Amino acid sequence: MAMRAALRCLSANFSLRLPQLSQVSATRLQWRSGSPRTLSTSSVLSAALKFTDKHEWVQVEGGVGIVGISNYAQEALGDVVYCGLPEVGQRLEQMDEFGALESVKAASELYSPLTGEVTEINTELAENPGLVNKDCYAKGWIIKMTIEKPEELDGLMDQAAYDKFVTSLE
Amino acid sequence: MRGGQPLVEVVRLGLVSYQEALRLQQVYVNRHRSGPAHALLLCEHPPVYTTGIRHKPYPEPLLDQLRLLGADVARANRGGLITFHGPGQLVCYPVLNLCSFKKSVRWYVDQLEQTVIALCSRFAIRATTSPHTGVWVGDNKICAIGIHCGRYITSHGLALNCCTDLSWFDHIVPCGIEGKGVTSLSAELRRHASVEEVVPHLLHAFTQQFNCQLTEAAQDGGESLTPVTSAGTSALTNLKDN
Repeated sequence: MAMRAALRCLSANFSLRLPQLSQVSATRLQWRSGSPRTLSTSSVLSAALKFTDKHEWVQVEGGVGIVGISNYAQEALGDVVYCGLPEVGQRLEQMDEFGALESVKAASELYSPLTGEVTEINTELAENPGLVNKDCYAKGWIIKMTIEKPEELDGLMDQAAYDKFVTSLE
Repeated sequence: MRGGQPLVEVVRLGLVSYQEALRLQQVYVNRHRSGPAHALLLCEHPPVYTTGIRHKPYPEPLLDQLRLLGADVARANRGGLITFHGPGQLVCYPVLNLCSFKKSVRWYVDQLEQTVIALCSRFAIRATTSPHTGVWVGDNKICAIGIHCGRYITSHGLALNCCTDLSWFDHIVPCGIEGKGVTSLSAELRRHASVEEVVPHLLHAFTQQFNCQLTEAAQDGGESLTPVTSAGTSALTNLKDN
């Protein structure tokens, strides 16, 4: 509510200084205030991806963390031909190695973004390891795990911070 | 560091068992914990067949058959399928921190392939890449590549056939690729090319491809060494005369 009022003030200022542009800016501002992103409810936040500096992502869904690797990571790896995954029930500390992906004759480790227990592994990857490349944020998910220490999520990067991090690497 | 080029220490291990080389690689991997400490391990192995993280295609009975041939058998945490290492094959294990180069495994493997292709061209051999990782002369693989990368630190590496007894490869499907063969520098050149002769060329190609500087393991305070230039030229002159 307060945000809408603030935005109206802004658009009013624009109309004083830049009569031609005011229409456009006002429309843009109003679109922004209506979009789900600015509403910031907790349900929206919990579905958001968090990232590690090792390019793994974790998404919380129903108290369980789904883990995969980012687009940047899958591009840097090349075509994945094999996924070495942990056992269901395996307990992982944050940053523990939990598996490996093989591509172009290179085996690269996967590191746990959180502390918890593996509840599910993506068995699709046995037959179709390329899912990690083709659909790294959805069908190419790697493991699901419990979240023993939710505060660890706060230490991970959100989308914006991760995008900035990736830019700094290039 | 002159010109911002990473410094890589060349470590010549000579003939060492595969297990010993694994142990030494781990030592060099661990060195990276206290800052960049790139190393290039060079060695030859007594006959050994090795498998990578995809080891399920190779059950124990099959591996026992290979042991009966007089070879060792070992499992490694590298990528790639089954391969053979033996005398006459130059094995090179770069233990690099990719943070000082480029943080991409795909790029790193490409660079290794290009290094070997450049080396082959110094011997007037036309080598290429293919959809299968490694370096090929036509349908025959002259150099196998299989690496591991953890926290941007690389291990394992490449195996270039100089004067390897290629019959060892008859007992496996090398790297799991059916219908292709193997070759060596000696086979392609139709003359004996020893590991000793090839090493300087590999080092030169490596510095060019990775844009780095090499230093020999410190005998006199780790003095920087520019290897190969004179040795490489004279070897090439010999080749031209052949």
